[in-house]
Amino acid sequence: MKLKSQRREIKSIDLLPLINVVFLLILFVLIAGRPTTNHPQQIEVATSTQESDYAPAAFSIWLKQDDKFYFAEGEDVTLGEVSDWVKSAGIVEQGLPVELIADRRAHAKSLLAFRAAMAKAGVGEIRLKTQYDGSAP
Amino acid sequence: MSQAIQITRARRKNPMMGLTPLIDMIFLLLLFFLLGSDFVSYGQSRLAPPRGTGGNESAPQPAIVTLNKQGGLQWNGAPVQAENLAQKVTALVAEDETQLIVLMPAGEAEVQRVSDTLDLLVGAGAGSITLERDVFDIDLADF
Repeated sequence: MKLKSQRREIKSIDLLPLINVVFLLILFVLIAGRPTTNHPQQIEVATSTQESDYAPAAFSIWLKQDDKFYFAEGEDVTLGEVSDWVKSAGIVEQGLPVELIADRRAHAKSLLAFRAAMAKAGVGEIRLKTQYDGSAP
Repeated sequence: MSQAIQITRARRKNPMMGLTPLIDMIFLLLLFFLLGSDFVSYGQSRLAPPRGTGGNESAPQPAIVTLNKQGGLQWNGAPVQAENLAQKVTALVAEDETQLIVLMPAGEAEVQRVSDTLDLLVGAGAGSITLERDVFDIDLADF
């Protein structure tokens, strides 16, 4: 008796499940993620155990580890220049808050100097950006 | 007799739609969102409360919390442990929820320590906290 081995035809791989999974991944990233923040990667903001809502402010300034202030990547600015900019941008007139994105390794003297300069310029509310760390005690 | 010329159209095979460009685009989208997204949860601590519109009543005496370089705390000048500080703040806020707490960090204290202290005060119920310079932390370079 002669047994015939059945030849299997090579079928093309069904790509639809792959596409479905990738679409699901895109949806996950879209919903769970948020666009990259407005601070450079080298700034490690202070962690906080208090969960608070984050509202981007009209004006943000960076305080890096070297205790210097920056508007953006580039040269550092003095607090006098920051104050002038805050006044000229109408932040004081509109009563808008100012956000400080400070490195956790910077020193409080810079925070205090910024606080004093903003108070002198007429800014009422200053917010320090923090990173929520729910695992901390 | 007329003979009709029959032109037979060449039947085109219905080819399967190429999925490769679609998959390429989906992977590019996935990469874009993965690299452009941030999964960290951010918050904000207030260094200075919003300015009030004034009033007739005088503000109550603020409570002073001092933070030294090593993270040690003082409550109105007396050294205090973090747990005790939280209890004192809670008791004070229970009497008057508008009680102003003034945090005076040493100039050399790190921002993380300031943030930790702010967390402690907020966790204890303080709603009005302001950051001020410690009067005893004087830098001679300022003069």
